Amino acid sequence: MRWLVPLAAAALLSGTTPAEAKDVMPVLPPYAGAYQPQTVDERGLWMVADETERAMRDSKTVIHDAALNQYVRDVVCRAVGTDRCTGVRIYIVRQAAFNASMAPNGMMVVYTGLLLRVRNEAELAAVLGHEFAHFELRHGLRGYKHERTASDIFAWAGVLAAGAQTYGTARTYQSVQISAVGSVYSYNRDLERQADFLSMQYLKSSPYDPNCFGDIWTRAMDEADATARGRKQRSKRYDRVAFFATHPTDLERTLYLRQAATEMGKKGEDDQDRFSAALAQWRPQFLADQLKLNDFEGTDYLIGELGRAHWTADLLFSRGELYRMRGNPRDLVSATTFYRDAIAQDPANAEAYRGLGLAQLRSRDAAGGDALKKYLAMRPDAPDAAMISTLVQ
Amino acid sequence: MAAWGDSMLRFVFRPMLALLLMAGGAHAALAQEKSGIKEGFALKQGSARILLVRPTIKVGAQSTGGMFEPNADWTAQAKDNLGAALDTAQSKLGNAVIVADEPIGAAAETMADYRALFSVLADSVIQYQFFPGNRLPTKKRKGVFDWTMGPGVAEIAKGSGADYALFIFNEDQYGSTGRKILQVFAALAYVSVQSGQHRGFAGLVDLHSGDLVWLNADLKMGGDVRTPEGAQKRVAQLLEDFPGSAAFAKSAVKVAAK
Repeated sequence: MRWLVPLAAAALLSGTTPAEAKDVMPVLPPYAGAYQPQTVDERGLWMVADETERAMRDSKTVIHDAALNQYVRDVVCRAVGTDRCTGVRIYIVRQAAFNASMAPNGMMVVYTGLLLRVRNEAELAAVLGHEFAHFELRHGLRGYKHERTASDIFAWAGVLAAGAQTYGTARTYQSVQISAVGSVYSYNRDLERQADFLSMQYLKSSPYDPNCFGDIWTRAMDEADATARGRKQRSKRYDRVAFFATHPTDLERTLYLRQAATEMGKKGEDDQDRFSAALAQWRPQFLADQLKLNDFEGTDYLIGELGRAHWTADLLFSRGELYRMRGNPRDLVSATTFYRDAIAQDPANAEAYRGLGLAQLRSRDAAGGDALKKYLAMRPDAPDAAMISTLVQ
Repeated sequence: MAAWGDSMLRFVFRPMLALLLMAGGAHAALAQEKSGIKEGFALKQGSARILLVRPTIKVGAQSTGGMFEPNADWTAQAKDNLGAALDTAQSKLGNAVIVADEPIGAAAETMADYRALFSVLADSVIQYQFFPGNRLPTKKRKGVFDWTMGPGVAEIAKGSGADYALFIFNEDQYGSTGRKILQVFAALAYVSVQSGQHRGFAGLVDLHSGDLVWLNADLKMGGDVRTPEGAQKRVAQLLEDFPGSAAFAKSAVKVAAK
């Protein structure tokens, strides 16, 4: 018994547990039409995911707009193929964070923070392809099984450590426990890498350009650095992978995705125009949600990155809001400029007049009153009309 | 960019933590109350129409390491058995149980909202009222049980004619063989390992006022919900102190005495 645990742990850590060797994964792919989960474990996980999905379907955090949902679905279908994409249901969740996730039963959750950050359709396709890869490869089930084995070893090693006669033996079992915990996370990182590479394969056979996938992670690092700077934290850009990290580092992902794309040598579309057209109507709302994160540096980086090609009215307005909300006297001067530029491009933007007026009044500039009057004239039934009207008497 | 597994990672640490805590040897014996009834509330005998909101039922095994292993078959059995047992129990009390239809459209969103709200409400009651040491100042007066979902909750029962809504949550984790073997060996090393976990709560909400009139939360329940008999025992425990059941028991005793 004493030797069993270290042996089993060694096998687990080398990646070939006896349990995994005899692991029977169902033959049919999970995206096949009306696929039914097969083993006890898979059926159990699908049951839990189905229950979660019921709540998700009726949640008010989900954006149910038909056109937007159809667009995202089309991107998934173009990325992974029309024969596969019918197996997923997509839920666009109003969440400013940069993320997406996939449940074992084919529930794909897309955060609006992702839609705000990707630059074009090819980038969106790369990330959604990564999520689909988790589904196709049954990563939920694999991760669950691996965790169960690891936690079994952890529990046994804990009991043996408690019953150990010498300190040395106890310490051996405790290091087995640490290895078991570490293996759960390193296995999860392996699954993430696998999903990245399968997504690259999807991109290869899709109309999209595979070179874009690495770019996402470069910008993610830059944004994280900006956020860290604003919060007086150190940059984690060049950190080695942490013990509890569930994903490879952004730097590692950038490097291997770039290399894979170079080896592929394929050029493709980025479908920038179709992407911008589909998201144009939504971007002001996504930007407004981003502003509420109270992350000045990160948001300023993000808006600047989005405005790299063209400073549109919604970006200028959001930048004005960002600076006005920080509210240093110099920020109010900057904000006034941004609002003016936004109005020059889009004279119908009533909110820009509101921001301009408030920024000017705060800077003791009486001209602010006129801007606010203009706002009230354009939006007589605005929810804050009564409040604003007290400022213009 | 996460697979489902990420949320599962948390499952590893809870059991690990539990194991570490238990290694200390002693179970904290918390003097926890199990149920509460709104002051002065009495269910009108034998006339209430109760809307049963889609219950949250999860049944599975507990792995050797303490992870929850959801089991679809056991859950399906438990849903059937608990449904039948609940019907019997309520008709004995003279109440009619109406199973809520699956709502569509805006009604579905309202229902989802109130289901979510109830789980928050029940958690709050358990945390801030049932643990005497952790009671909020407003909940300290003896006999006070003052919680509400707001009168808007009436919307979930529109057209059903129900007076009350019954919410049920039930989670069962049966200790696997591996867990039981671990428990024995752990006992030899003076480590206490818990095998299996059975918890649930049931709450009754007055649909006219939105007030929570009764809540029963038991974190250690008996009865194997995978069998009809076990499910009856479970429902009896879940509905312990159900408003009106004491009166029913008294009248039953009288009948028996005659």
